[in-house]
Parts: sequence; structure tokens; C-alpha cells
Amino acid sequence: MASGIRDKVAIIGMGCTRFGERWDCGPEELMIEAFSEALVDSGVSRDEIEMAWLGLFFQEQSAGKSGLPLSMALRLPNIPVTRVENMCATGTEALRGAVYAVAAGACDIAMAVGIEKLKDTGYPGLPERSKGTFDDLWLPNATAPGAFAQLASAYQAKHRCDPVDLKRAMAHISVKSHDNGLLNPKAHLRRAITEEQAMNAPMIAAPLGLYDCCGVSDGAACAIVTSVEKAKEMGIKDMITVKAMQLAPSNGFEMSTTDWDGSYLQTTRIAAARAYKEADISNPVEQLDMTEVHDCFSITELVVMEDLGLCEEGGAIKAVLDGKFDKDGEVPCQIDGGLKCFGHPIGASGLRMAYEIYLQLQGKAGERQLENPSMGLTHNLGGHPFRNVASVSVFGLHSA
Amino acid sequence: MGYGILSFGAYVPSLRLDRKSVFEAVGWAAPNLKGLASGERSVANWDEDAITMAVESGLDCLANTEFTVPHVCMVSTTFPFSDRSNSGLVADALNLQRSIATEDFGGSRRAGTSALARALANSESTLMIASDCREAQPGSTQEMTYGHGSACVLLGEGKPIAEFLSSASEHEDLIDQYRASGIEYDYSLEERWVREEGWLKIAPDAMQGAALKAGIELGDVDHFVIHGNGGAVAAVAKKLGLDRSRFPDDLRATCGDTGVAHPFLMLSNALSNAGAGEIIMLVGFGQGVDALLIKTTDLLSAVRRGRGTERFMNRRRSTGNYTFYLSLRERVSLDFGLRAERDNRTSLSAFYRKRRDINSMLGGRCSSCDALQYPSSVICVSCGTSDSQVEESLAGLTGRVKSVTEDWLAYTPSPPYIYGNIEFEGGANVMLEFTDFEPGSVSTGDEVRLAFRVKDRDEKRKFHRYFWKPAPLTRS
Repeated sequence: MASGIRDKVAIIGMGCTRFGERWDCGPEELMIEAFSEALVDSGVSRDEIEMAWLGLFFQEQSAGKSGLPLSMALRLPNIPVTRVENMCATGTEALRGAVYAVAAGACDIAMAVGIEKLKDTGYPGLPERSKGTFDDLWLPNATAPGAFAQLASAYQAKHRCDPVDLKRAMAHISVKSHDNGLLNPKAHLRRAITEEQAMNAPMIAAPLGLYDCCGVSDGAACAIVTSVEKAKEMGIKDMITVKAMQLAPSNGFEMSTTDWDGSYLQTTRIAAARAYKEADISNPVEQLDMTEVHDCFSITELVVMEDLGLCEEGGAIKAVLDGKFDKDGEVPCQIDGGLKCFGHPIGASGLRMAYEIYLQLQGKAGERQLENPSMGLTHNLGGHPFRNVASVSVFGLHSA
Repeated sequence: MGYGILSFGAYVPSLRLDRKSVFEAVGWAAPNLKGLASGERSVANWDEDAITMAVESGLDCLANTEFTVPHVCMVSTTFPFSDRSNSGLVADALNLQRSIATEDFGGSRRAGTSALARALANSESTLMIASDCREAQPGSTQEMTYGHGSACVLLGEGKPIAEFLSSASEHEDLIDQYRASGIEYDYSLEERWVREEGWLKIAPDAMQGAALKAGIELGDVDHFVIHGNGGAVAAVAKKLGLDRSRFPDDLRATCGDTGVAHPFLMLSNALSNAGAGEIIMLVGFGQGVDALLIKTTDLLSAVRRGRGTERFMNRRRSTGNYTFYLSLRERVSLDFGLRAERDNRTSLSAFYRKRRDINSMLGGRCSSCDALQYPSSVICVSCGTSDSQVEESLAGLTGRVKSVTEDWLAYTPSPPYIYGNIEFEGGANVMLEFTDFEPGSVSTGDEVRLAFRVKDRDEKRKFHRYFWKPAPLTRS
């Protein structure tokens, strides 16, 4: 009988580059920057790492296919390197590979690196690529903001909310993340904005304006993991362990049936339920001290608060405006600035979220440090609301 | 029961260009256009062409008919493809049975009346669709006088709304206008010469010839549907002593001359207003003339309900933005940014496997749980049964907007790019690109119909791919 991943694997080192428009860096430099920090943090040597997973989404315009870019850049001693890609859940997938390898006993020490070099496209926003030979024939050439604007459209229709109230709650989310990002030296966007600025910004995809959209950034993040037993042998104190790692991809329910009303994220709900079970969480609001969710757009964060059970369905506007997810709220969300302001180098984002929780749990988060957190959640949503890959992971102190 | 015209259909794009705005933009260089600067002309949207308009008029014609069409012919001088069956794609989009003959006719703006005369004389069963999307050089007379549109007739054995009486044709190589192969624009000669040497000398013989064959006088004709400019038609009417009240609206003021489609469009308009037992003369002109006589039956009034020109002429959105028109029709090249560089290569082998899904919008209805899904799949999305789905087209279904956005980031020749989830009667949900909606004119809960349109253009390989898009619902 499978027992899940809870408290089997410890994170012993992490690194994360400064996110942003890293015009001076290619994928190689970014991977090395994140790896170097993680290696020093872990106290192990490069050659003690036995297996590695590389997360990279847009390989066509940065490092190319396969595990080779990582193996070559770090001059790894021919250890197995596997490249994974699962859209915006890619970074978390790299970590899941490393965590599962250790849990399986296949190796003692494994590594996950997530990287994305987005700013070589020559234009703002994400590049547009083929969706596949058949889908190109019929699916709209949607952008990410346009696809996520559908959530706002359907959420508003379902809950019959005033569009101004919804937009104000979305603005509150962005203002909050900008305030948080201001305190994060590695964040891409480090300036405060006002609610009025957010509400009156140029429209990108109605009702999402400029400030409802996250940064498009370059960056990399890295985690080094080992078994709890090995970590104990290494004498690691205040060990941080993986409590849950769950993944739920769509199967067509949302895009092909009328049973989905478009106002919520079905896969997030499924992944959250599984993760809470795996982590033995019965009351997420009380048990989670922080969340890093996939706030690619303000509306996504708003809807995800409901899907993760952090507020009641239809209640997110009020909960957000009441400050429930602010820095000093009941369950702070995006304390590092989130995708919105830390930035969103796709392949690195899942690992960046884990990095923030890792820092917070150790009390190493500097100016933005929360008071004695013991458990945090990360969430990714790859793809578009009608067809996506959701991941929900929980990390905590081993003692928690 | 008998042979004749069983049904008819028409389509005029909803977009209309105010001719005054054209003159305001180009009058400094072409002051001679002032006399034409009134009314409006129809303009195909960026995603419309002769094929998509043919599909629209074909759908209009076939709605609520039970006739099995054995043959589809498309007539045009602006076929999107010079070598790929244009009529075949139209037949697919109309979801007609696979054992069907398809045929493309062109080469002259008289090609439609010539094909119709032959088909009627030989009692052929066919869906004959004329469709033209002629471009005009900015600042030209044609830019003012042309329009875009399509119209069609269904011929066969059944309950005819009109029966064939006779036809007569003449050929004269009088080149009033021409367009050489591979050239975009028509080259037109002086109207007065065309009227004096062409219309007045060639048309009367054919018109009188057709009447003679039918054993009637021209004075017995109730409706003269003549495809020519106003001056020429007036001159012919005067010469033959015809009653001008018997000339129905030529649609030039409100739509413009739709080329090879125009005789059919005017016929459709005449059929929309004619009574039973009335005689219609249809005249096509261009290096000669065709004159056809048909007589309506008392079945006309029942069949014409909800179809024909009126439906589409009333559905209009007018623009006075000349630059918008020029850009839609690719007469100017605006900078749409780097996103417009996307490579739209189509894998034609992948397309072939899915051609019915794309062309006919065939989804699958599960025979086990009845769920309709698009695209169809091996395993049912609702009940998980394998190989249970039966082909069913969504093309004729009414949809409801579940979610929608106006995207100003995505590339489209007509920003914003509007798209969203559509729920269809019968259970399917599909994410689709919308067309013909103005910004701010669509919201959740709205009902939509599906229109066959160009989805993407591959500028490198000059291949247009087509698909279905939600469009404003036109209640008939």
C-alpha cells in the first residue's frame, strides 16, 4: 500500500537567481547562478549529486531539448539528467522527479533545476508557438491573458458579481504582490503601485489590464534533496521536508463538456484534495502559514483561493478585499511578490515558490520574514483554464 | 412535382463601407468619384473570401430543404485556390454526402448565368453557388461600385418555386473590362462606349430571342433582373420600351456590384418579392450576354420565408473608417508587430485525417451516454466508453457564450482578438475564435451561430486554412 511522499525527503539546499530581464545572461549563466547558491547552501559537493532533473518549457528559444543543457553547463560527471516539461508546472515537475528518486531509494542525493530564458523573443509577453498539428487547425490563437480572462468572465457570470468589485479585488491582489515584491531583492518588479493604477491600466485582455498580468522574466532556481535519514546523518537541524506533491492534468472535462461552468479550476481542486490528504491537512486555513500560488494573472489568484479551500466558493472577492491573503493576513499569499512581481520564468517558477517557503521556514527571508511559519503550499497551473496541468505541493518543518 | 428552381439563398457580409468616407479619403486625387460618393458597399471581413461567402449562401439555400444534392458547382472569378477544388471545400462545409460531384466555373463575370442557362436547359440537379470577392485599387471607380457577396439556387426535381422557360446567349469579344490571370484589379473601359456598342447592340437580341423561344413578349415579363450598371440598364430599357417599375432594386446603392454573384443576388432579391406565376428575366453581361426566362410557382412564398437577401441586407454594421477597410482587405500593410510573424504552416496530412472535423465541424455523439463532444475522440469524455461516438456536425447548432475576452495582445487583422468558450445545444463545449463582433458587443449568455471562415493565412506558403467561428445570430 502506497504511503505517499510525506516526510520522506528533505530539501537540503536551494538557490534562486534574481529574476528579471537578464539581458546579460543566457541559460547557462542562469543555471550556474542558481546551482552555485544551492550547492553552497547544501554543503554537499557537486560530485555527490547522483541524479538530476531539468525543467525547461520553451526549449525552442533558449537551451534546446533534452537534459544536455544542464549536464553540459554544470559539467556534471555523466550522471542521469532528465529534462521534464509540463507547462507552468515544469519547475515543480523537476522537483517531483528528484524527490521521487530519493524516496524510491534509487539515489541518496538528487537535484532539480528549473530554468527559463524568455527575454530573447524580441517582444513583450510569452512567445506563441504551434499548439500541435491538429489543435492549430481549430483552437484560437489565444494568449495567456486572453485565456485567463475567460475565468473572470465566467466567474462574474456565475456569481453575478459587480464587475467593478471583481476588478477592485483583482487590483488589491496586484497591489499586495507589488508591496511584497518591493521587499524582495531578487524580484523582477520592485515598485509599489496603487489600486487606481491597477484598475485604470491599459487593457490587455478584458477585463485583465497591464497590472493584472505577471512579469515575463528570465531566471533559474535549484533544489538539492536527500532522504530524511541521510539528512539526519548529515546533521541537518530544522529539517525541511516534502509533505505532499500532487499533480492533476485535465482530461477534457473542462474543454469538452458543459458540466464545467468555466469559473473555477477543476484540476486545482483535485490536486489540492490529494495534497491535503497526503500532507494530512484537514483545515488548510489554520494549518498553512503561507501559500505561493500561480498568480499568472490576478484573477487566477482570486479563483485559486477558493479552489484551495482558503475561502468559500464565491467569497474570494470579500476575502481578498478584507486582506485575508495580505502579508499580515490570516494566510499570506505571494509573500515574495509571486509570479506577479518576483517574475515568471516558466520552468523555474515552481522551484522559486518552494525556495520562498524554504527560506521562510528557516527564518531567512529578510525583510519579508513571516512570524514562525511551519508549513507552506505551492501551486502551479500550466496551460489555460479549460485545459491545464495543476500541481499542489506542501513543504514544512520536519517537526510540523 | 416537376423540375426547376427548388430553393435559393444569398449572403452579403455584414460590414458596409460608407462611400462618402472613401471620397473624403481619396477625393483629393480622384475628384471624379464625387458622383459615386453616396450609399454604402458590402465589404468582406478579413476572414471572408469567395469560399466562405459561398458556404453562407449555400447554408441559407439548403436550410429546411430535404433535397439530396448530387452536384455542387461554385462560380467565381476570385477563387481562393486556382488548383484545389473550391466547390469541394464548399460541399464539405455544407456537410453534404460524400458521393457528390463538384465543379468550379469561372473565367468571366457572366459565368454564372451561362452555367445556369445550361443547367436549366438540361434539367440538371445542382446546387449552383456564385460568389465573388473582387478587390479594387484604392481610389478607383471599382472601389466605389463593387461589393462582396454570394447567392445561389438549388435546381432539381421536386417542388419548384420557379420553372425554366427559355434562354438565349450571344457572344461578342467586346472587352468592356478584363482582368488578366494573376493580376489583382480589373481594367475597365469607358462606360459610354460599352453602353452604345455593347449593351444596346448585343443585349436586345438575346433578350428578345429568349422571349421568342418562350412564346412571350418582353412586355409579359414581370421582373427584369439585369446585371449591368444603371446607365446601361436604363438605355436598354428605353430602347426596348420596357416598364421601369418592373426592374427590382439592383442593390448597387446598398451593397455594390458583387461580380459573378450579382445576377444571382438580384434574382434572390426578385424572388423575395415576386408573386406566384410571375415571369422573371435574368440577364448576364460580359463579352456577350445571357438572357434567361423563368416563371415562379405558387410554392415560392412558402420556400422564401426566412431566406434570401433581405435577411442579410438588414444585418449590417457600417464603417466610415477607410483605413480599416484598406487594412482588412490587405490594400495597405499596417505594422501589427512581431506577433504577426507567427508561422501558420498547416500539416496537410494531419489536416487530411481531420478534414471532416475541420471542414464540416463534425464532432462525436456518444452512443452510450449521448454526450456531444468536439473534437470527437476514441474515448468518450463523459462516460469513458471507447469507439462509441457517431459523427454529428455542430455547424448548424446555436451556441451560448460561457466566457469571452477581447484580447489586445494576440495578433488578428481586426483587433481585438475575441474568443471564448461556447456551449452548444446538446451538450458540447468548445473554445473558439469569434468573428463579426464589434468590441463590447458580446457578453456571457449571448447566443451565437457558427460561420465558416478563414482561420489563419500562411503568408509564406499562401495557404488559407478555414474553420468555424461564432458570429452574431441572425434570426430569420
